Amino acid sequence: MPVPIEAVIPFAVIATFFTLTGSGLSAVKYYTNDKKPARYGLDYWESQMMERDRRLTGSIRGQSVNPVAPPEFSINSVWNLEKPRNH
Amino acid sequence: MTATRDPVFTSTKFVDPTPAPKSVPPVEEIGLTSAPLKSASFFIGQYCKDYNADFMLCKNENNDPEHCLKEGRKVTRCALDLIKKLRENCDAEFEKHWKCLDVKNQDYYQCRKEERQFNSCVFEKLGLQKNIPGSPEGQPQINEKRNPIMKPHQK
Repeated sequence: MPVPIEAVIPFAVIATFFTLTGSGLSAVKYYTNDKKPARYGLDYWESQMMERDRRLTGSIRGQSVNPVAPPEFSINSVWNLEKPRNH
Repeated sequence: MTATRDPVFTSTKFVDPTPAPKSVPPVEEIGLTSAPLKSASFFIGQYCKDYNADFMLCKNENNDPEHCLKEGRKVTRCALDLIKKLRENCDAEFEKHWKCLDVKNQDYYQCRKEERQFNSCVFEKLGLQKNIPGSPEGQPQINEKRNPIMKPHQK
């Protein structure tokens, strides 16, 4: 018997919405990561290396091949402070 | 009461702008960021093996940062020396490899082609070879394997 192709239209609409949101999220991630694919599966080592990259270049995805670090590098490290506790 | 407690951090972080004391001899810090450093890592490991071993043994004795400053300066200077040599001799291949790593989540297995070119250039010009410690003997190392299981999706 003839299959009603009109029934496929809602599925097409749903698939389009999924595609749009997926592409939109991927594009946002791309542009916020200095036009590079986002990094995934990061452990503490990688986060620390990205923080070091930020100290060297200003952005966590910035890369530089200068053998010598700029002089600001020795004094721009960030320390986390604990809130004062009385017990 | 628990035996451990989690730290509660303030929202504002602290940046200390005081420079190092004059009693500490100054050393030029390495300005390489994560991707080029990862690319050069095995060569730094081989070239600076003695200084690195000295530093690690010193740290083993006493983990205080002040105790191993001298060995640390030697490590930094050795790595700096090798990076300058890499830049002089194999700059193009080095750049291709670390740029590939930068866009591939810094995974070695996704950049084998560029790595092969870089490794062969370094072997010709500087005589350094990538040796993975702990790699099982008798088999080719993972970067030399013909048909690895972990490989990039695209050719």
